[in-house]
Amino acid sequence: MLTANLPAARILVVEDDPLLASHMHQHLQGSGYSVCLSEEGCDGLQRAAQDDFDLVLLDILLPGISGLEVLQNLRERRGVPVILMSALGGEQDRIAGFSQGADDYLPKPFSMVELQVRVEAVLRRVAYERREFAPPQLDPQLQFDDLRPDVQLAGHWAELTPTEFRLFELFVRHPDSLMSKAFLYQQVLRRAYSRHDRGLDMHISHIRRKLAAIGYTAGRLETVWGKGYLFTRESV
Amino acid sequence: MPGRHSLFWKLTLLVLGFCLLIIWVSWSWGGRIEFRGYLLTQAARQQLLGYAAEAEQAWRSGGAQGVEQWRAQLQQRESSWLAVIGRDLRALGTRALSLDESQRLTSMREVDWPMSKRASGLPIIALPFPQQPQDGQLVMELPERFLPEGFTWHAQLLVHGLLPCALTLLLCALLYRLLITPLQHLRRQANALRGEQLDARTATHISARHDELGELGRAFDHMAERLQGMLGLQRQLLRDLSHELRTPLSRLRVASESDLDATQLRARLEREVSSMQQLVDDTLELIWLGTERPQPPLEPINLASLWALLVEDASFESRWPEQQFRCLLPAECCVRGHLNGLAQALENGLRNAIRHSPPGGVISLDGHLHNGVWQFWLDDQGGGVATAQLETMFLPFTRLSAARPDGDGFGLGLAIARGAVQMQGGAMWAENTAQGLRLNFQLESV
Repeated sequence: MLTANLPAARILVVEDDPLLASHMHQHLQGSGYSVCLSEEGCDGLQRAAQDDFDLVLLDILLPGISGLEVLQNLRERRGVPVILMSALGGEQDRIAGFSQGADDYLPKPFSMVELQVRVEAVLRRVAYERREFAPPQLDPQLQFDDLRPDVQLAGHWAELTPTEFRLFELFVRHPDSLMSKAFLYQQVLRRAYSRHDRGLDMHISHIRRKLAAIGYTAGRLETVWGKGYLFTRESV
Repeated sequence: MPGRHSLFWKLTLLVLGFCLLIIWVSWSWGGRIEFRGYLLTQAARQQLLGYAAEAEQAWRSGGAQGVEQWRAQLQQRESSWLAVIGRDLRALGTRALSLDESQRLTSMREVDWPMSKRASGLPIIALPFPQQPQDGQLVMELPERFLPEGFTWHAQLLVHGLLPCALTLLLCALLYRLLITPLQHLRRQANALRGEQLDARTATHISARHDELGELGRAFDHMAERLQGMLGLQRQLLRDLSHELRTPLSRLRVASESDLDATQLRARLEREVSSMQQLVDDTLELIWLGTERPQPPLEPINLASLWALLVEDASFESRWPEQQFRCLLPAECCVRGHLNGLAQALENGLRNAIRHSPPGGVISLDGHLHNGVWQFWLDDQGGGVATAQLETMFLPFTRLSAARPDGDGFGLGLAIARGAVQMQGGAMWAENTAQGLRLNFQLESV
């Protein structure tokens, strides 16, 4: 199973609003993470560079040195995952342009649930990358071809694109496991997730149509509304 | 290569014409003035012709003796050489011409010829007898005092100095009229803009020009229009936004003063905060679309796939069964657009259609390909809107019915949808059908 079973993960929160910072601290600590707070860019950078954190939550608008500069400096020294937070809404596309190097981007205002999802997604991706995998458990109907890369059913290729193939393979490896959109963006599309981004949904829609076209019935990609996607096996 | 209407050609013609004019004027006019400068004055001519008449008189009355006598008299008044000769070029007086004198007769001039000292010595003038020219003529060297001044320095100054100066002045005036006057007009308009008179526009005689200045005028007008539109939009949005925020704020205020329990208060808080966040997000999105005019990279988008995922969301949100959404487009219908923008536009259109549909109504997506452009439309069965509202419904904060159910959006959806479609180089408009409203989209095919 693919779960974020990392209760001891250490998180550094760099946020200058004391009220928001204490909320985040309280919530993340309640979820079993070990949390450090920093209210200022330079201090945050120093601590992120010295200590061994699993994740850094970084505000963009900070007193002194900006979050983007901190990110740039930090990237020269460490590869620790970073989630940027900012009130610069509505301009996700532009933010995505200059936040190169961040693992995700969380526009303010956000709910603690949303924060939790994003944090889990990044930690889960890191954990996933560290794990060794057994060869994929074969689907009762489909044959996977890593080199092509595509799947076939009774001699018919589904004509999946490489991204669609990676996405589908991830689902098939972990049936009945809820994949949040934030995690799928992290793991397969390698970019930050934003509210209006429909890239992932389109890939899923394509996969469904292509699999239906070759007559695949052994599994279904289900939408869990507001959360993500789930692959379920049909009992045949 | 400058265009057909470029100022380059006007300037070329003007300068070329000017150069030719200067050359022609100073050549022909200068030549004429120089020629006149070498002619004898009227008084000198009269004087010389008077001598000829005297000579004829002397010849008639005194014959050779008379001529000799008159010659001696005249020689006292005029020191220059003279002779009175007959048609056969022999002297009419008693003294025959010396060889040197005879030679002089070969270079005689008429009295109205130009005179110049450039030849050797003073010119020799032939003055035929006024009454009987066949009888003889007076030949005399032009007296020094009658010699014309020729091409004087002030004539030269006039022809080679003042005249080109005057013509250059004319050229400059023309150039100024051609180039600087429109620029001055533009400067005045720019100053008006600076003074926040945003309705300042270039005069039609400038903006209708086909050359570079016309282009400048049109660019200026375009800029002023953008500024005016943008500022108007911003002011309007700010006004509407503050107005819209009052509703959830006043509800929150009432809730905070009421004796609701913690759970109810939390639910109320959650709902109002979400609606305020939605409002702020949508307004920012609209401002971003309207002012920054982003140009995202376009990609091929399969409309059937996009429709499938939008329907999935919409049917979850509205609890409509998926059978009430129909896609009549062919499966291979593919447009060139920006996925997130198009999804947002269609989603907002779909929400609008659901909101105005009767229970059990059907919403369908159909379209056709024409000249490489896909025109596709969303049809609902909600009865449509008044003709006057077909265009105003795309303005921000426009609601078609004042009595709207709670939390039913802020009238930003269609404005954002149109902005998003235009961002992809497409168009969006509405029309009424027999059953309801049709939202048309137009995007380039792949």
